[in-house]
Amino acid sequence: MSHAFDALRSSAPDAYFVLDDDDRVLHVSLEFHDTRGRGVGHVLWDHLPRAREIYEPYFVEARATGQPIEAVIFYAGRLKRLLVIPGGDGLAVHVENIVELDVTSLGTLTRSLEQVATALADPGSAQRDSRARASLRALP
Amino acid sequence: MAVTVGQGTPFVVLDEGDRIVEVGTSAQSQFGPLVGTVIWESFPGSEPLFKPYYDKARQTREPVEFVQFYDGNVARVRAVPNEDGLLELHWEALARLDTLTLGSLAETLEESLELLDEQEAGMHRARVRGALRVIEGGT
Repeated sequence: MSHAFDALRSSAPDAYFVLDDDDRVLHVSLEFHDTRGRGVGHVLWDHLPRAREIYEPYFVEARATGQPIEAVIFYAGRLKRLLVIPGGDGLAVHVENIVELDVTSLGTLTRSLEQVATALADPGSAQRDSRARASLRALP
Repeated sequence: MAVTVGQGTPFVVLDEGDRIVEVGTSAQSQFGPLVGTVIWESFPGSEPLFKPYYDKARQTREPVEFVQFYDGNVARVRAVPNEDGLLELHWEALARLDTLTLGSLAETLEESLELLDEQEAGMHRARVRGALRVIEGGT
């Protein structure tokens, strides 16, 4: 295992789940127990409507190349950083919520959309707000 | 503005202190347990969006109808002051934001903006569309 790979694993978000080759959930980390714990043994897509079209291309690429894939995606009102790591024990999918849309009012929605746009423009320096961190236990 | 909702039973009735004193049949599941509470306490961030219209209805003693965005929903609300000093609220759901994917978000947000009063939506429309363009190009 390369140092770069080890470094990537160690910096990966704590919230993750592991899939088998058929996208069946083998394991969820403690951070996902509350929301995804019941999904263990089930195919991921069965419980996440319209998620497949968003997540699957990265899963396919990681499996095909054998290399970790990083991506920023939008799903279920949240901008998320994905780190997909293929391994002998399955495909580990680490998830970090970067920005969560606040739909309270048109004003809050506008501001959070602008935060999403800013985070996409420069994900590395995007400010991780407390709401996004607190929602790590929400849907992946 | 043409009055289009609120011909039947009120959704919710408020007293002069915005306390819920009566709930219509259709709203029982959501508002029934809230009878006796001030409505703003149960819906964070809603007061500045709705109260100005309610105050206007009370002051003018005339029905006020408006379309508002709150908590991902767009609704037409009609506030009707009655002879007892209470305010009857009639509510019609018009649209709901779908934030599941960027495509559904963009589509339903556009629908929502079209439904809102020009004055309300005008302040946000350009910023929302600008942000969406960046987002759709960046994911």
